[in-house]
Amino acid sequence: MSKKKISGGDSLKAIMTPCLIILIAMAFVSVLLIAIGANPFAVFKSLFQGAFGTPRGLINTVSKSVPICLSAFAVALAKKVGVFNIGVEGQLVFGALGSAIAGIYLKGLPMLVHLPLSLLCGMLAGMIYAMIPTQMFVKRQVNLLVIFIMMNNLAKLFSTFVIMSMIRDPSSITTASLPIQESAQLPNIVTSPGKLNISIFILLGIGALIYIVFYKTVWGYELSACGLNREAARYSGINIGRYLTWGLLIGGALAGLAGAIEVQGTYYRLYDGFSPGYGFDGIPIALLSNNNPLFMFIGSILFAALRVGSNNMQIEQGVPSEIVSVIQGTLVTLIACEYIIKYLAGRIVYKKKEA
Amino acid sequence: MNGTLITTMLISVLRLTVPIVLMALGNMFSERAGIMNLGAEGMMISSAFGAVLGTYIFNNPWIGVLVAILCSMLVAGIHSVISVEFGGIQNISGLGLNMLAAGLTAFLCRALFATSISPTVKNLQTTNCLKRVPLIGDVLAQFSPLAYITVAIIGICWFVMSKTVFGMHVVAVGDDPRTAETAGIHVWRIRHFCVTVLCGALAGLAGAYLSIGQLSFFMEDMTNGKGMLAVIAVKMGRWTPKYIVGVALLFGFFDALQAQLQINNALNIAPELIQTLPYVAGIVTMFISSSSKENPRALRQPYVKNKYKF
Repeated sequence: MSKKKISGGDSLKAIMTPCLIILIAMAFVSVLLIAIGANPFAVFKSLFQGAFGTPRGLINTVSKSVPICLSAFAVALAKKVGVFNIGVEGQLVFGALGSAIAGIYLKGLPMLVHLPLSLLCGMLAGMIYAMIPTQMFVKRQVNLLVIFIMMNNLAKLFSTFVIMSMIRDPSSITTASLPIQESAQLPNIVTSPGKLNISIFILLGIGALIYIVFYKTVWGYELSACGLNREAARYSGINIGRYLTWGLLIGGALAGLAGAIEVQGTYYRLYDGFSPGYGFDGIPIALLSNNNPLFMFIGSILFAALRVGSNNMQIEQGVPSEIVSVIQGTLVTLIACEYIIKYLAGRIVYKKKEA
Repeated sequence: MNGTLITTMLISVLRLTVPIVLMALGNMFSERAGIMNLGAEGMMISSAFGAVLGTYIFNNPWIGVLVAILCSMLVAGIHSVISVEFGGIQNISGLGLNMLAAGLTAFLCRALFATSISPTVKNLQTTNCLKRVPLIGDVLAQFSPLAYITVAIIGICWFVMSKTVFGMHVVAVGDDPRTAETAGIHVWRIRHFCVTVLCGALAGLAGAYLSIGQLSFFMEDMTNGKGMLAVIAVKMGRWTPKYIVGVALLFGFFDALQAQLQINNALNIAPELIQTLPYVAGIVTMFISSSSKENPRALRQPYVKNKYKF
């Protein structure tokens, strides 16, 4: 076998693994759907139609994919340094809080200043919120996952507290903040069947930036060295603590930006519980996409489609939209035993080659 | 007035400690055998749902407890297959099971009962046969029978861990699986047993206590971080039953304090801020407890059978 052939098989195997994981998850969900007496094909069809069938659905899917993709970037960044960032949800809520406060209370600024400033406030809030677990992890080696989960719970309660007792809109029936100033609202590209704002360009820019920084600079190289083999990186003189800190803090900033975009681009105010779990969507995407930004875009479109289409599915087929979290959980659980699936994928690929 | 307040507080502390203690003891076995179990939350929520479902179908809370134990054993079994048999990444497996169990219970609750809260079922909130005990009978009857089972379990756990050969084997497997295997201990059998049976059963009791021991219905996300508090309690309690109970009592105290402050509204603080109290307590506890030498040395390191090495 020539060298080229082997590498071709390997890349096929690399694509095969996530596909196999998704297929197994789909099979599991289908069994579940049959168990509650629904037709899985009809359910998937109405899900697909809700997400891509109408122009309105399509636009909603694309605009929902922005915060999901940013969360995926945040998780992927931490994965690159060799840690697992599941605090994205909390950082996202905090970022939304920061940008909402900046959007409401900074008055009389021109849009060119106010809009980026509010986004920046969101990023800073997410970053500051990521600082606490990061410092505890780097300085005292506490279990990062446990602390992130606690911080996620904390962030939700804290944001409810701030909305209820500080920035509540008295005229609103639901728990929501005052509307943000018009100068802090992200302008829309399309408005008629559904709203699509310029955040999609911000996302593309950040994707390109991440690609350049991580694959073309020394900083990015040293950062991934920490993730590949921490001990080897330590012996070659790389300051592990600093890279771990930055990996998690930039992740926090990206999550904060995702929250800020939701506030400034979609709702124009901060709703309590506005995020249906964008931060958790990012986890399976980042873990499955093998740190490839393009795969992450595709993955977040798929997850956004699940989120948008599940409403349609709930109305048409009477299947609860919680099925999305079931899919998420199944994917993450399967990723934990990824190497067994990799082995299976390898057997499928090489058997075909030999035959 | 003050006397009754202290009594209510004390009862409330003990009541809220029960699920944390049960879950933490389950996790202790799992971690002592070298398997990190972050799926505690998922095991608890699935058994809380199982308890209500079993009671709803059979109209008997004890069968509900049994169903609860089976449900969490199923989740624990998946964790065990992934992390013991296949040597997968234990943290990710636990986390995935948390997400899966939370989603699946919410999904099934909606699908079966059409709301996010199940209908009320028979419960195990009080132990009426203890009412006849003189003087303190009224207080004793206020606890669920599961709470008395918990007291017995604490004793059994202490005995098993420090006085039996099995307890020594568990410690050996968690500290150095290779040496343990050389000494003729069945490493994988012990790990499977600790995770699936012991951790699963204790998590099942904890979840059943949450849904039919404290309340009489199931609610989405009703574990509310209690599983994670149990994980912290195990680490802070240095993997020994008596310290774990101490730390769990501390968490139970903060939980009770939070509940009482909300009911009495004594300090005039926003309820959301009061609700953060148990989480803050957990985070501060984690910060204080640094990694100790008693740490099971092979914790989180997969030990894979030869046939899976490729």
